[in-house]
Amino acid sequence: MIVLDHRGKRQSLMPLNVGPSHPATHGCLRFLTALDGETIVASVEEIGYLHRGFEKMVERGTWQQVVPYTDRLNYCSAIMNNIAYCRAVENMFGVEITERCKVLRVIVNELSRINDHFVCVAAAFQDLGGTTPFMYAFNPREEIMCIWEKLTGARLTNSYSRIGGLARDSYDGFEQDVLAALDSTEKALKDLHACLDRNRIFLDRTVGIGKISAEKAISYGWTGPCLRACGVASDLRKDEPYYDYETYDWEVVVGTQGDCNDRLQVRLAEIEESMKIVRQALKRLTPGPIDIVDPRIRVPSHKLAYQDMEGLIGRFKSVYEGIRVPEGEYYCGSECANGELGFTIISGGSGHPYRIKVRPPCLTQFAAFHELVEGGQLADSMAVLSGLNIIAGELDR
Amino acid sequence: MDIIESKTWVEWLITIGKFAFCFVPVLYILLLIPMERRGAGFMQDRQGPNRSYIKIPYFGKIRLLGYVQNMCDGTKLFFKEMFAPKGANKFLYYVAPAIPFAIVFLSPCVIPWFGPMVFEWGGKTVRIAGSIVDSDVGVLLLFGLSSLSAYGAVLAGWASKSKYSFLGALRTSSMTISYEVCLGLSMMGILLLAGSFNLTDIVNWQEHHVWGIVAQPVAFFCFLIASIAETGRAPFDVAEGEPELVAGYHTEYGAMQFGLFYMGEYSHICINSFLIATLFLGGYSVPFVTTETMQAHMGGSLAILFGVLAFLALAFLHLIYRYSAKLAKRAQSNKMEILQEYKLYKLIAWVAVVVFVALGACAWLFYNPANFVVNGFAVGSLATAVGTALIHLLVLVVKSVFFCWVWIWVRWTLPRFRYDHVMHLGWKIILNIALINLVVTAVIAKLVGGN
Repeated sequence: MIVLDHRGKRQSLMPLNVGPSHPATHGCLRFLTALDGETIVASVEEIGYLHRGFEKMVERGTWQQVVPYTDRLNYCSAIMNNIAYCRAVENMFGVEITERCKVLRVIVNELSRINDHFVCVAAAFQDLGGTTPFMYAFNPREEIMCIWEKLTGARLTNSYSRIGGLARDSYDGFEQDVLAALDSTEKALKDLHACLDRNRIFLDRTVGIGKISAEKAISYGWTGPCLRACGVASDLRKDEPYYDYETYDWEVVVGTQGDCNDRLQVRLAEIEESMKIVRQALKRLTPGPIDIVDPRIRVPSHKLAYQDMEGLIGRFKSVYEGIRVPEGEYYCGSECANGELGFTIISGGSGHPYRIKVRPPCLTQFAAFHELVEGGQLADSMAVLSGLNIIAGELDR
Repeated sequence: MDIIESKTWVEWLITIGKFAFCFVPVLYILLLIPMERRGAGFMQDRQGPNRSYIKIPYFGKIRLLGYVQNMCDGTKLFFKEMFAPKGANKFLYYVAPAIPFAIVFLSPCVIPWFGPMVFEWGGKTVRIAGSIVDSDVGVLLLFGLSSLSAYGAVLAGWASKSKYSFLGALRTSSMTISYEVCLGLSMMGILLLAGSFNLTDIVNWQEHHVWGIVAQPVAFFCFLIASIAETGRAPFDVAEGEPELVAGYHTEYGAMQFGLFYMGEYSHICINSFLIATLFLGGYSVPFVTTETMQAHMGGSLAILFGVLAFLALAFLHLIYRYSAKLAKRAQSNKMEILQEYKLYKLIAWVAVVVFVALGACAWLFYNPANFVVNGFAVGSLATAVGTALIHLLVLVVKSVFFCWVWIWVRWTLPRFRYDHVMHLGWKIILNIALINLVVTAVIAKLVGGN
């Protein structure tokens, strides 16, 4: 491929198509590169290979039926998406969920965050050729997955949250399981830090790679750990607190220079913060109701439906017609593992959503991908890609 | 005819029999693949492959500690369809995987597997070298052969007509060339000390002075790093760096063609570990014991050898018994099956213990070369020579297996280098250290030892 550079000089480049089916493009990502030797001169990313029409599909069902679709957004932390969506709809109703539900949501939220960050760091290691840290990170993740199995019946697509509550209460021994998982998380963190903190090969490959300035990151609309790695202490849990996040004792982790290493280290440090939050939340977990008692929002329990006329009607109406969300347009963003997951919801007042627009955190990060890799080596692009934690599920929807 | 008649039939037999050593790298592949898989499992807190089995009567499903998995994989690769991508250069595409594998059979020819066998036969003193080809330029020949395997990768990458393969081929060729230089230079110090290119002489020197690793510690590390890089294994596996280049030069290969690359890589590890063991760890020589002492006390030496083997079998038994006891307490659904399987291992190991102990006792009590006469022909001297060769071979194997483990160890510990970092390390660091080491060695050797 002969091209002219900006000074009008002839350059001979090799076009290389990376993805959509490629070991490093987890999910289905694709980017085209023009290589000069091994150096990436230009890169163009292309999205849409995992497009399922999320936003159109959800218009066909009721409001509650959106929840399983949200599982498939960021499938590494499905419960977080459920909760983010349910929170958005609950805010439209203007209702307050029960205390126990709040605390449980915080616990599963933070466990999902741990899970997601572990997947990201493990995948980054795998892409840098370190298979052993990958396994170290996956051991505690497996324990959390086992908690998911017991709690929700599923490992990956949990659909745990419901508008106005949760699908079911926690099981006996939930606290002990979580504490055990936290212990093995701590051990894995120690192992991971031993593997990467002073490893010259790893540092050479990540420090100063895929650097981005805070201003530029903000202009691209970055959020979450990737933005925090640039040194911007932006976290919705602190900025617009919900679920009493402000009352827990934890810190927002920030990086210094916004390179690949910072992004991974910020994630590892956030796991520690999440562990702090979970430990505190477990202490606040007191017995109580899980769901809102309001047949217009949360489907009444079986007991009520069988013994009570209103309960039966409420159940019938919320199953057949769906709950009726107040008319209007609303945006609500939650701090998910990758950044701000926002739902712009337009309701016509009927039992079906009129329109739900998702603001995925990955999209803005992937939009800046070419800036991060251009001028670097081909191998660097993989380090950058896995450090950004692009999840094709929420990127393409 | 003169040549044939100039040697006795025993000499010819041993000389031709030595060609069997060509197959050592191939045998090592069988050893290395399970070692790598279970070793990786061991390092990563997981089991490793252990589910495939062969069903035999009474003992039930025999998994051979996960070994059957490798047979299954081999069989699968063997029966898969071979195909070439459209537009590939068919001839080169099919020939390329054979190159590294063919070299596997050539490389072992200069490695001394045991000390020269010297024995009396029919009133004549016969001397048979420990390597298949006892060449005065042994090391150079070995390097020449092992660097030929780069051709396989380069041709494969070029003939596949894929950009990923092509990039992989470019990387592998530049890397092999760079590290070949480092390898040669870091080895020069020990060659200088031994004063010979002949590997048997080098081992001999180490046996009578000190091991290469003591005399040349810096060179040893340079050599180790360079030879890991030369085999193209992690952390230097940029040529087949999975994330960016899919699988590098063998992206387009499947079935046994891929298998040949795979086996070529493993046997390259084998050859390089033999080389390191020979150059820096005294090769076949037994630590602290010279060959002469050993031969003077052949019976005792053989007894110790068998004792060590018996001890290893006992250690294996201990592991099996300990694990069986642990398993018996667990509520595992296939517990009985596994315990039944272990009965076979226990049986084999107990038989081995008894045999080794008996052999050791026989060697200790009855070994007397002067008594060994077959048809009025004294073979005692030959028996001693063969016994020495056996011990030598075993020692060399132990040393090389240790280095094979180093390869696996390094692979599962370190992340991958970036391509330019590999070049930087090779040309700017290791090469310079090796050069300085060579100069320092030369000066010291001149000052201390004259020539």
